[in-house]
Amino acid sequence: MKQVVVHPERCVGCLQCMLACATAHSRSRTLPEAVLESPRPRPRVHVGVGCFDEGFPNRCRHCDPAPCMLACLPGAIYRDAQTNTVLIDTDRCINCASCAMVCPFGVLRYHPDVLAPPDKTVAVKCDNCIARQQKGQIPACVEACRTGALTFEPLDGAMRRKTDAVSRTVSAGRREVPPPAGYALLTTIKHEQVRLRSH
Amino acid sequence: MKKEYIQETIAQDSRLLLRKMEGDAVTTVWERHRDQQPHCGFCEMGLSCRNCVMGPCRIDPFGDGPQQGVCGADANIIVARNLGRMIAAGAASHSDHGRDLVEVLAKVAEGDGSGYQIRDGAKLRRLAAEFGVDVEGREEKQIAADLAYGMQEEYGMRRKSLTLLARAPEKRRRLWDKLNITPRGIDRETSEMMHRTHMGVDNDWQSLLLHGLRNALSDGWGGSMIATEVSDILFGTPSPRPTLSNVGVLKKEQVNIIVHGHNPVVSEMVLLACQSPEMIERAKARGAQGINLAGVCCTGNELLMRHGVAMAGNHLCTELVLGTGAVEMMIVDYQCIMPSIAQVATCYHTRMVSTSDKARFPGMTHREFHPHNAAGLARELVQEAVDNFANRKAVYIPVEPVPAVGGFSVEAIVGALGGTPEPLLDAIKAGKIRGAAGIVGCNNPKITQDHGHVTLTRRLIENDILVVDTGCAAVATAKAGFKVAEAIQYAGPGLKEVCGALQIPPVLHMGSCVDNVRILVLAAALANALQVDISDLPIAGAAPEWYSEKAAAIGAYFVASGVYTVLGPMPPITGSMDVVHLLTQGLEGVVGATFAVEPDPEKAAVLIRERIEAKRKALGL
Repeated sequence: MKQVVVHPERCVGCLQCMLACATAHSRSRTLPEAVLESPRPRPRVHVGVGCFDEGFPNRCRHCDPAPCMLACLPGAIYRDAQTNTVLIDTDRCINCASCAMVCPFGVLRYHPDVLAPPDKTVAVKCDNCIARQQKGQIPACVEACRTGALTFEPLDGAMRRKTDAVSRTVSAGRREVPPPAGYALLTTIKHEQVRLRSH
Repeated sequence: MKKEYIQETIAQDSRLLLRKMEGDAVTTVWERHRDQQPHCGFCEMGLSCRNCVMGPCRIDPFGDGPQQGVCGADANIIVARNLGRMIAAGAASHSDHGRDLVEVLAKVAEGDGSGYQIRDGAKLRRLAAEFGVDVEGREEKQIAADLAYGMQEEYGMRRKSLTLLARAPEKRRRLWDKLNITPRGIDRETSEMMHRTHMGVDNDWQSLLLHGLRNALSDGWGGSMIATEVSDILFGTPSPRPTLSNVGVLKKEQVNIIVHGHNPVVSEMVLLACQSPEMIERAKARGAQGINLAGVCCTGNELLMRHGVAMAGNHLCTELVLGTGAVEMMIVDYQCIMPSIAQVATCYHTRMVSTSDKARFPGMTHREFHPHNAAGLARELVQEAVDNFANRKAVYIPVEPVPAVGGFSVEAIVGALGGTPEPLLDAIKAGKIRGAAGIVGCNNPKITQDHGHVTLTRRLIENDILVVDTGCAAVATAKAGFKVAEAIQYAGPGLKEVCGALQIPPVLHMGSCVDNVRILVLAAALANALQVDISDLPIAGAAPEWYSEKAAAIGAYFVASGVYTVLGPMPPITGSMDVVHLLTQGLEGVVGATFAVEPDPEKAAVLIRERIEAKRKALGL
């Protein structure tokens, strides 16, 4: 089964995933119209800021067992077995924020949403773009990502690649695979600026 | 003191005002900078292109995603096009500022520039001679008319090359000709850059960058140089005079007016109005002790250079000064005026006024200055500022001002040396002064405010390198106390001896950011005196905290003129290592100078010292 895999070292912080996510969860599904809608569509993926001002696309891990599910008193949070997606029933949600309190990753938000009853504030988080997947599309954040920081693939394939990459670093007489020179240069400068500012 | 305030600025006035304004719930540039993190990596690397609507496009720096835009432009082309447009915007800004001054000069010549006049007739005649205008037995207005006409032609397409290039050493001019980067017209090169970077025009990244140098030269030896020279003709050539700096220049008992922006056309008229006895009487009648005019940014530098008007702060202080609650009115013209600033003013009683037909700001009252109404409008505004004194509430001016000396035009420096650059050359030859560095440019919230400027300056003067500075860099070192004769205590033994004998500071304030051309003129004069090229001189440039497109143009005209230039923040070029290598290494073999990028001012100082020592060695010194 395919799922969204995050590769943090590839994130350049362009925020395109956030725009695509909000658009995918709008009524119109187009960006120019989505920004005019009410309630204003909002992203479920949130690009955070690291120690060196680098980006990190923070999204729901769809944990199993999921602490949010266990904490949800009205039983609004459930799992879609087919896509292994933790979903929220907005009719049942009582906006109590229990899920946010137990979520280890801080991915929950509370606001009115196009998928919720009108004017009701509900808990909102990543739904793995289930509606898009049913139409044969991949999740919007992955589609928007041009650097490979977000991929949609079977987890074991991604983990095998990572395992191989780690293995190569311990090979005898290994060949280093450095990051692209320009990206490494920019990263060095940004680290230096942060170091200087915190002297 | 909270850690953030200390990380954001080294200036005590800024730190205290940040703390105060956080209490006032005012948002400043630093907070907005934090809110913008992370910055888009494509844009930081110069890899996004919005030049056409087949796009927008971006190139994946990791190599797996798209490597070409829709049109087929690769990373090299996109990075070079973006840098080219950055230089074009900078050159356009300086040169349009120069155009406004030429227009005033033309109006004065027509007798229609009420309030403006020719204050330096000798300079008018010198410039006129350079432009081939007949000066013998003619009145100033006739000369000014012909000079203004000649300068207007510099902006057009009737010249084969710009007139003031003649000031550059012949070797340099021949090199520009050989490389085909001699600028032909001021507006022409900017316009051509916009053309070349349109889809499907210049798709050779090296030729784009070469045109970038030509475009920058059209600014340095064209638009900016005209701006400075005409300002001197209209408002006087600066000479050394004492002044004060930091937010402590605001006075609790007086009506405070701040001018912000770049063009002296507005600020000079405001100064005249502030000095009028009628206005001062009006202020006294309203319980103030007088009227205090202060500057921020470069229009402040223009007044500081010519009149010793005090300087309240540099770029990142422009919001903070309003937090004193002591500013009755801020009058702005254009460039580097953050559109946030009127919103800051709403928390206090400050009235915000915009004055340029081409620069409007949300929340400001627009009162347009033109040569025919400038004097009267300035009086009206000062009167309104005086009347606003009654609305003042709590005032917080947390520091005492720091003394400084400004006004070191090339004429003033040569004057201080006794009328000839020889004593300076002798001191350099003798090794008492190892060389000179021009430290210029802005503030940038990516760099702790003033830390780059002040640290680099301290290290260079310690090592007997004379520092000349302009713009926000010059304000930073003034606030740090480097711009008084006593500052020789921070200088190395040789520089201390020379500056001590001449009774000048080891750090010379050469003016606003268009006044970087004064540094070019000085460098050219030294090179001519030694009969070498500018690139042979033991000199360097630095922009430790630059942010603006104008700074990109300045850096490029420094390098194209043969001056090794160290930038603090990285320009958006790392998407193409070919471009990075050309600008930081390859240009050495082309124009005899390169850029370097080094955010740490301690390391930048080492780079500059190495460069200067290498150049001394090559000259046999």
